[in-house]
Amino acid sequence: MEEKQVMIMGGGIAGLTAARDLAEFGVNVHLIEKSSFMGGYAIGYTCKASTECLQCGACSVEKTLKEATETPNIEFHLSTTVEAVSSENNKFSAKLKKGPFFIDPERCNNCGLCYEKSPEKGAVLRGYSKNNHPLYAITAEGIQSHRDFFASVCPEGAISVDAKATSETLGVDALIVATGFEPFDPNQKPTYRYAEHANVITGLDMERIKRTHGALVRPSDGQPPEKIAFIQCVGSRDERLGHLWCSRVCCPYALRSAQSIKTQSPEMDITIFYMDIQNIGKNFPEFYQTCKSDFRFIRSIPVDIFGEDNDRLSLRRFDETEGTTVMETFDLVVLSIGIMPNSENPAISKLLGIELDQDGFIDHNDALNQTLTSQNGIFVAGTASGPNSIPGSMAQAGHAAGEVLKYLGVTQ
Amino acid sequence: MTTAKNTREMEKIEIATDVLVIGGGYTGLKAADSIAETGYRVILADQKDAGTPGQSSLFGLQPDFQNSLDGLKDAVKANSRVEFLPEARIKTAAGVPGDFTIRLTSDGTEIEKKVGAIVVATDIVSTPLNHIYGLDLSDRVISLSDFEEKLSSADFKKKLDKDKQTVAFLAGFAQDGNPLLMKRILDSVLAVEEAGKNATAYVYINDIKVAGDNLERLYKAGRDAGAIYFKSTQPPEIKQQNDGPAILLHDPVIRSDIEAEPDYLVIEEAMTPGQVNSELADILRIDLGPMGFLQTDNVHRFPVHSNREGIYVIGSTRDIQDLSDTWTDVENAVLDIKQLLGDGTKEVPKFCAVVDREKCVTCLTCYRCCPHGAIYWDDKAVISPVACQACGICASECPQEAIQVTGYSDDELLEQIRTEISGIKNGDPKILAFCCENSALEAGRTADLFHYNLPKGLRLIRVPCAGKVDIHYVLSAFIEGADGVLVMACHPGNCKSETGTTFARWRINNAYQMLEETGIDKNRLEFVTLASNMAPDFAKIAVEMEKRIG
Repeated sequence: MEEKQVMIMGGGIAGLTAARDLAEFGVNVHLIEKSSFMGGYAIGYTCKASTECLQCGACSVEKTLKEATETPNIEFHLSTTVEAVSSENNKFSAKLKKGPFFIDPERCNNCGLCYEKSPEKGAVLRGYSKNNHPLYAITAEGIQSHRDFFASVCPEGAISVDAKATSETLGVDALIVATGFEPFDPNQKPTYRYAEHANVITGLDMERIKRTHGALVRPSDGQPPEKIAFIQCVGSRDERLGHLWCSRVCCPYALRSAQSIKTQSPEMDITIFYMDIQNIGKNFPEFYQTCKSDFRFIRSIPVDIFGEDNDRLSLRRFDETEGTTVMETFDLVVLSIGIMPNSENPAISKLLGIELDQDGFIDHNDALNQTLTSQNGIFVAGTASGPNSIPGSMAQAGHAAGEVLKYLGVTQ
Repeated sequence: MTTAKNTREMEKIEIATDVLVIGGGYTGLKAADSIAETGYRVILADQKDAGTPGQSSLFGLQPDFQNSLDGLKDAVKANSRVEFLPEARIKTAAGVPGDFTIRLTSDGTEIEKKVGAIVVATDIVSTPLNHIYGLDLSDRVISLSDFEEKLSSADFKKKLDKDKQTVAFLAGFAQDGNPLLMKRILDSVLAVEEAGKNATAYVYINDIKVAGDNLERLYKAGRDAGAIYFKSTQPPEIKQQNDGPAILLHDPVIRSDIEAEPDYLVIEEAMTPGQVNSELADILRIDLGPMGFLQTDNVHRFPVHSNREGIYVIGSTRDIQDLSDTWTDVENAVLDIKQLLGDGTKEVPKFCAVVDREKCVTCLTCYRCCPHGAIYWDDKAVISPVACQACGICASECPQEAIQVTGYSDDELLEQIRTEISGIKNGDPKILAFCCENSALEAGRTADLFHYNLPKGLRLIRVPCAGKVDIHYVLSAFIEGADGVLVMACHPGNCKSETGTTFARWRINNAYQMLEETGIDKNRLEFVTLASNMAPDFAKIAVEMEKRIG
């Protein structure tokens, strides 16, 4: 049988899963990732276990990335974008723009010297997973500002400050779009004053804080908070913004995070402001009961956040029992921002000739088969097509891989 | 940091490639169709669960799907690769992946089948929850399923409009509910509103479960069409009088009591796995999960794996799923089956876990503790190389020490313990960490590679599962001169072998007692659980141990 080639756009959990599944059936996979590291948003998420696993799936991302890197017929194209795609006789031709790669992966031994000695924070990036290679990437701005430093720092001679972007053309038989989502920008809800108050953070900020500090601390003073609030549905289920969808993952991440925080700090006072709590896992009724006994649930979404002394924050909301607005003060407020369509979706739609749905996600052509796009030979997986969890995206990616195999005739 | 080499000699074996699908509803039919399409022969055992009210619970108000189901059923029955067994009941299932022997009855006849893989595709059962509300079902107090049935009649809808009827829906107070049930309610609400401008829907509801495709939009469409929602965390007061139901609710927003006497009161339904799941769990020796679903809440099982290789659980067998999720499960199972069965010959490790037949006394401890159902016996215990996941729990539990795991034999591990400890420079506290390769080993390697602060005298010993850590290894480490020992397992519920963490914890608790008796400070031994992405925590735990014992 002629060797089949598949291009997957997006190296997040959906792209990695589909790549691994296809490669296991002997298909050659080109996995295209625009950033310097594989794993997408999900590789940055922390473990949400309390005294037991709460099935967030973050460790599955690490595991899938490891499996994908150990699978021989996947070629990883990091820092790569797809510039043009044309198709003829069931073959796609894709023009890629690659790099520039300032670190030569062949020579880099991941010693970390460039990262540790870097004169400027942010000039050298390190991915979240050890399964990326190289572990580090130097930004173009970093090279420009500190050319001499980078030209001399690497004892292996793996850094070339003059590296230029290159182009490459791939011929492939099928395509999977796994380009993911964009987190809601909380500045679109100005009354929450996200930009103004350091202690108003998003769920993603909370992940980064936990990664960096090993625990949840207030950005303003690095001290652990005593009283925190989660505000649900920030950007999701919002008619005024025209966002008529539930992001599905925010109730799970808020409640799991709250449980995990409560396990580490049993004294923590936690309040969840919500409209409707969505189900989390198979064991939801039991899990929700535990949550209800551990935190306060208030069915009301706060309208404003005001700054108080000591960087504390006041939330103003309508109170059902009082029938009036009330104010309450917290040390830290976590905004459960939702899943938005990737802002590049219109460009991707144009590039590939596939349709978007009314919300701006990649449309699926069949109500029941959520992996088919409006173009033959182009499939979709993960949050590119709408809100989904890690396990949900992985399942959809497995399905997409199955559809690709059928389309390519790679059956028994 | 070194680890045991895990090289394995492979051998080719012949395996059966027929696939048994249990369940003749949408999920089972879809699975049979897709598996047959890949070329395998399928035996479809139409095992109806007593009390299943057909498919209405999955399809709700969608007659198109009912039609496509009928079409699918005809196509599957006509498929020469599918053997359809009506009125089937599975009696026994023996053997291992690639070689299962199934005894079942179909239409009263006993049949035996050899299959390579099994797919469980049972249906969900809908039960009205009127009893939780203290209500009796009647002409006007009806279940959601019965109301959906009524809505399928155009005359009924005409009457709703003509007689200016009101329909009240009650949901979220007798149970938490789920998006699939929510979709059915939202569809019915919209259908009432669309019956005509004089028909009205009231919805008394707690949490609105909109975490599904287009549900927020559907919710809005119903409200835009005139449906009125009363959201509350407490159920309304309901009286069932001779002239029909009466509902009293205190509305917190307008702060007054609202009374209604609807023409119909539609009661929510529980959507649960059938009784048949627990019966199948026993017969197939697969784990029963929460709420009676046939899959534990363990990320290593998602999407369609059971604890046994070669047995897959799909659709509403494993969770409440809509039709598109079910299709996704089917295609994932097809991929797994293709990988398992291939063309009927399979390369398997010649030795995975090996039983010393001289030492084995057939006590069957291994059979009982194997979480993967990989062990059977002739006159001695036998471990199937296809089913074995090499976790090593059996090897550490065997009272005769008759089982060795290739690459992780007692001799190899003890030798490694000796070598690692003797390699640590004198002066540095010697810490040995037994690390499950699925979690702690990954975290430890990341901590090392990312240059986190780690004790100089820390060495990692790779184990396939914390359940492989024998109490003997821990004691040997101390005898060889370790100052501290860490046993690092996966979080409970995240063990790939389900019970490895539990076994490890038991053994370490025993080890604490032994240490106490021998006068070794208990603080020198620590059992912890963590995940692969917890490198900072790994470093913190190791450094804290060093401080404690240094």
